[in-house]
Amino acid sequence: MTMSPAPPAAPAPPAPEPPEPADVARHRSGRLRTFVRGRWLKTIPGRIRAHVVLCLAALVALLAVLTVAIGNARDSVQTIGHDAGPQVVATGTLYFALSDMDAQVANILLIGREHDLGIGYDETLRVYEKRRAEADAAAVQAAQLAGRDPALKRTVQEVLDGLGKYERLVGQAMQLDVQSDHAPGETPTQVVDAYRQATDLMKLQLLPKAYNITLDTGSHVRQSYETKRSAVLTGRAWVALTGLVVLLLLIATQLYLVRTFRRVLNPALVLATLATIVLTAVGAGLLTAHAGHIRKAKDDGFASILQLSRARAISHSAFADESRYLLDPGRADTYEQTYLDKSLSVIYPDLGDKPVNLENYYAGLEQKVAAYKPGDKAVPFLGFFGDEARTTDKGREADALAKTLAAYRTVQRNDARMRQLASAGNRAGAVDLRMGRTSNAIRDFDAYDAALYALTTVHQDAFDKAIEDADGGLRGWNAVPATGAAVIALLILAGVRPRLAEFR
Amino acid sequence: MRAIRATAAALTAALLPALLSGCGLGATEKKSVADKDSLVIGVKEDQPALGVKRPDGTYEGFDVDVATYVAGKLGVPKGNLTFKTTNSSVREEALAKGTVDMIVATYSITAKRKMKVTFAGPYYVAHQDTFVRADATAVKDVRDLKGKRICEVTGSNSWRRVIEERKVDAKPVTVNTYGACMDALAAGRLDAVSTDDLILAGFATGRPGRMINAPFTDEKYGVGLKKGDLRGCEEVNRAITDMYQDGTAQRLLAKWFGKSGLKLTTSVPQFEGCT
Repeated sequence: MTMSPAPPAAPAPPAPEPPEPADVARHRSGRLRTFVRGRWLKTIPGRIRAHVVLCLAALVALLAVLTVAIGNARDSVQTIGHDAGPQVVATGTLYFALSDMDAQVANILLIGREHDLGIGYDETLRVYEKRRAEADAAAVQAAQLAGRDPALKRTVQEVLDGLGKYERLVGQAMQLDVQSDHAPGETPTQVVDAYRQATDLMKLQLLPKAYNITLDTGSHVRQSYETKRSAVLTGRAWVALTGLVVLLLLIATQLYLVRTFRRVLNPALVLATLATIVLTAVGAGLLTAHAGHIRKAKDDGFASILQLSRARAISHSAFADESRYLLDPGRADTYEQTYLDKSLSVIYPDLGDKPVNLENYYAGLEQKVAAYKPGDKAVPFLGFFGDEARTTDKGREADALAKTLAAYRTVQRNDARMRQLASAGNRAGAVDLRMGRTSNAIRDFDAYDAALYALTTVHQDAFDKAIEDADGGLRGWNAVPATGAAVIALLILAGVRPRLAEFR
Repeated sequence: MRAIRATAAALTAALLPALLSGCGLGATEKKSVADKDSLVIGVKEDQPALGVKRPDGTYEGFDVDVATYVAGKLGVPKGNLTFKTTNSSVREEALAKGTVDMIVATYSITAKRKMKVTFAGPYYVAHQDTFVRADATAVKDVRDLKGKRICEVTGSNSWRRVIEERKVDAKPVTVNTYGACMDALAAGRLDAVSTDDLILAGFATGRPGRMINAPFTDEKYGVGLKKGDLRGCEEVNRAITDMYQDGTAQRLLAKWFGKSGLKLTTSVPQFEGCT
């Protein structure tokens, strides 16, 4: 290699002082002095080394921000996809199970001695026990999520304590019911009074707390999602920025070498530059895609699943209000109103100026909801399914929603017939209809429940897919940043080594 | 050397905006009531025991106390609170424009309002109930209002709930305010006043008469926040949970409605969920 330094750009650097190999000790102290005085910067190899050090430092910074951003990405998918997210969904079962326990009790007290009515006495008790077990399991999940949150812990404890009390009250009502040996729909006052105590405890204390547990833990997941997502996006900005710094420093180094040594290209440094571009772009792209997956998992999956599980629980509870309406004539007006309120929270058709009563509600469903095709932009109703409809595109989700809406209308038509009979004074006929002896009321409700479950499954699949994509994207990214940075570092060193060798 | 200097200059130029945007990215969530040092709270000025403006311009009532407690939990001391009369017709607009940060004013959560307002709570679920003269023992529930004269307050929907929604054949008599309804009831020009039990209880305190304790609707009194303030909503919900867990809610309910003869619910209500 010929030594051909470029004519120095002003100010001219002094030529490197020849070392004095004879006196090693003096040489060392001289080096140190040179370093402290900064005179090494005035030599060509010193400047090359300075460039290299800057490049490597920026590379280490790039590696660091990439590692932190990917760590945040991993945390976010862990929280939403694997830990808290599924647990929050599991606590939703608590509300459903509790609400359905009370529904089963109402049915048992309503059918009285006729043990074959509805789904039957034995089956009803079995469902009750099953829901009891589900409530316990969900409470365990809730207690785990509560962790160090004392208010939440206390709420969970209050639900469990209240459940014990509820079961005692239900036990008393059931005992009185057996003793009274009554005909369906003719539950004696003392049984109804005993049931009122139980159902009031459930409605006023247990269910609200159970509902709030899912809301509160869900809000923690939402907040952690917001924090992690913005951390991932901030991380992406930093990756792009530090990547740019490495890039500019590499270019500066090459420009310096070009000027100093009159060589146009340094292949190793060019490779290092390209590798930096690739690592930065792929890293930033990964983080962008990850933020997208997590958003999809949270909005299209987590949030929708929670909304629909609420719609399901409230629908079951409304269906039970039909039994309570027949069971407790003294409170029939109240139960009719709570039935309407619950129905409105599921679907609230635009009623215009008409009074909000059941009659207009049924009519509104037939007019507005029947005419609606999922995927349409304008959604003529509010409520859980209104929210769902507003985010639905055509395809599998739209089909599932259409089936759910149709099944819901059938359930409401049965309700209208049942109330017609009851308000005309035909209680026995209303009970027979509600319990499926003269209608498909129970089967229709089960069909609605199945359709709603299928709709939830669509979101569950979207959630699983998004989490799988997020996991898949991150797989291998333990090693990639460090390996990439090491390769770039080696290329930089390989690129400058021959130039430095010219000065030995 | 020049190359390094040029690079440094280029870097500074590239770095600054990126750094700034980097900081901006860290705060993607919108401004929230949870971050404020002072709050303007919308309340009613003419509802006894709920929100009343005193002659000296200060406010008192259950809603005012609830708002003060919640604001305290959000870290805003009493001294930094401004209460402002916010009538029913301007509530959504006041929140959207930001003239008030929070509304605690017998503000019922409904599906329609939820499109424009983010509701925390409810902090209490009131029920429509009926107040009659003490000697009207025959009136036990809303159906017994058939043929009776009930109060129709201008701008209130409560009478519709009896006549149109429950289809009870009562006769509406138009009166301007619930206070005037109570006077008319005492004077025998009316037979019953039917509306939210907390509102009735406020007017009923100190008057002869009887609450029939036959509730037939759920009115979820929510804390109205600017649409989209989910974090603020979640914080307010936690504050309401605390209010019930530490006994403040029970104390406030007893303080304002304890003497009315109304059956009070002292367990935390089912929250609506922040949307």
